[in-house]
Amino acid sequence: MSLYSHILTQILITVVSVSGVFVLTGMTGMFSLGQAAFMAIGAYTSGILVTKLAMPIIVAWPAAVLLAVLVGLIVGLPTVRLRRDYISLVTLGFGEAITALLNRATTITGGASGLTGIPKRTTLLIAFVSAAAVVTLISFFKSSKYGRQCIAVRSDELAAKSMGINVPRVKMIAFLISVAVTAYGGCLYAFYTAYVDPTLFGWQRSAEWIIMVFFGGVNSLTGSILSTFVLSGLPEVLRFLQSYRAIIYAVLVLLVINFRPSGMLGEWELTPKHIKRLFKRPKGARAQEVD
Amino acid sequence: MQILQYLINGIALGSVYALIATGFSLIFNVLKFSNFSHGALMTLSAFSGYFIAAGNGWGLVPTILVSVLTGAAVSLFGEFVAFRRILTHNTSPVYFFVSSITLGTLYEGIVVLKVGANFYNYPRFFGKPYRIAGLFVARSDIIIFCISAAALLLLAYMIRKTKTGRALRSVSFDRDTASLMGINVTRTIQFAFIVSGALAGLAGVFLGINYTLYPTMGSIVVKGFIASVIGGLGSLPGAIIGAMLLGILETTLISIIGSGYAPVFTFVIMLVFLLVRPRGIAGSNIQEKA
Repeated sequence: MSLYSHILTQILITVVSVSGVFVLTGMTGMFSLGQAAFMAIGAYTSGILVTKLAMPIIVAWPAAVLLAVLVGLIVGLPTVRLRRDYISLVTLGFGEAITALLNRATTITGGASGLTGIPKRTTLLIAFVSAAAVVTLISFFKSSKYGRQCIAVRSDELAAKSMGINVPRVKMIAFLISVAVTAYGGCLYAFYTAYVDPTLFGWQRSAEWIIMVFFGGVNSLTGSILSTFVLSGLPEVLRFLQSYRAIIYAVLVLLVINFRPSGMLGEWELTPKHIKRLFKRPKGARAQEVD
Repeated sequence: MQILQYLINGIALGSVYALIATGFSLIFNVLKFSNFSHGALMTLSAFSGYFIAAGNGWGLVPTILVSVLTGAAVSLFGEFVAFRRILTHNTSPVYFFVSSITLGTLYEGIVVLKVGANFYNYPRFFGKPYRIAGLFVARSDIIIFCISAAALLLLAYMIRKTKTGRALRSVSFDRDTASLMGINVTRTIQFAFIVSGALAGLAGVFLGINYTLYPTMGSIVVKGFIASVIGGLGSLPGAIIGAMLLGILETTLISIIGSGYAPVFTFVIMLVFLLVRPRGIAGSNIQEKA
């Protein structure tokens, strides 16, 4: 039982981070290859504030998220005005810089041997409530004015601009929301594993999140969450395939991109309306789901 | 004298960055996306150079040849499995990103499967460094600089003067029009991938000579990306200038503040550059097409 609750907690923490990536990549079409670095900022800041300065968690977590957002503002500022390639290149450099910083600032971060002694506070319940809250908030965001602006920017930046959408602003909002959510995921993570080290936050992790979002469906939060469960649950079920994990991932995703580019669920969302329809006309709804 | 020494080391480092940056810019030019599998491709071809050639006691030239050929072949394979369908089906260019990231994960996964987390070293190909007027010049640096320069000159000649090069330029300018003019677009894109892969293989070997071979060595590609951002995204001469500048800056920085913090400073330099002159040194201004 405890093994299952352990796996479930980890998946729920990943759901939090992937929801952040969904806002940025799925909705706005920007790719951050340094997203895991923001998770590192969340994890390290909250961890250091609690272990070294004896702050209560209720202060440390918001402080960590706030710091990540501030850093995100600095990273985002030069890039949101430029074409989208820049944000992925800049965030990739940012990730490397953060890893270097964490490795070098040994007195504060513990260097390569990691930050230890973080109290274990994240329970399955907290992880579940956090994931549920984050997912709910993001689904609200998606249907809000800003959410629709994000989708417009992703589909066609020029057209969005000509419709009077302030493109840099929308990009910045999406970026900062994703940074805040991912940093919160970092707090959850640090206080669950009680130990963090710089190797956990390389670009591979950011890439994995992007892959999860695309695997689930470009514009479907439901799909992203589903694929998080599938893709992070799969290696646990198939433990004997552990070393092939990256390769299986990659092949799966290449297949999806080549033959079903809109991902598992495409744009389909699990909303009350859809559920109702599911019960009303089971056959018709099936057909629509496949759409 | 000290400054001259930094300059020499910087140019040697910069020439490797230049190989990375041009290989990356070439694909960026043609397909207008950032190829994130470039780093992992370097790793894969450097390791194949080790296992096929250098590990069996072959010399420098066979190792380079094996790596370059592997790089070109794998790059061609990558184009086929990851980018071809997106291109022919005219799906959103966003998928190029995801494909290339996935492809990078695939290459790195293959390397990790083979070597685990171990470090490997190429055998010593070179003797002691030369001492010229009080300056140390490593033999490896001279060879690396000469081969890189030759490769880049060859590339420049190919793009400027040959028929294939002209096709490449017109395909980068506008795919549809180029195809209407009778250019085989698919063949041209394949060619770009082959060249880019060969450059990645070459850069991989040189990185392996300068440092060690390890599965995540592909992350050095970040330097190439930074160089091409500084030089102006998509511009080949810009990429080379940016790479040289970055190499010199980095060797100077490392000697002042130590190698640990160097990535932080190169990142800050890139941010400042983007704020002050987002178009880069070469000033190529690529707008996202509607």
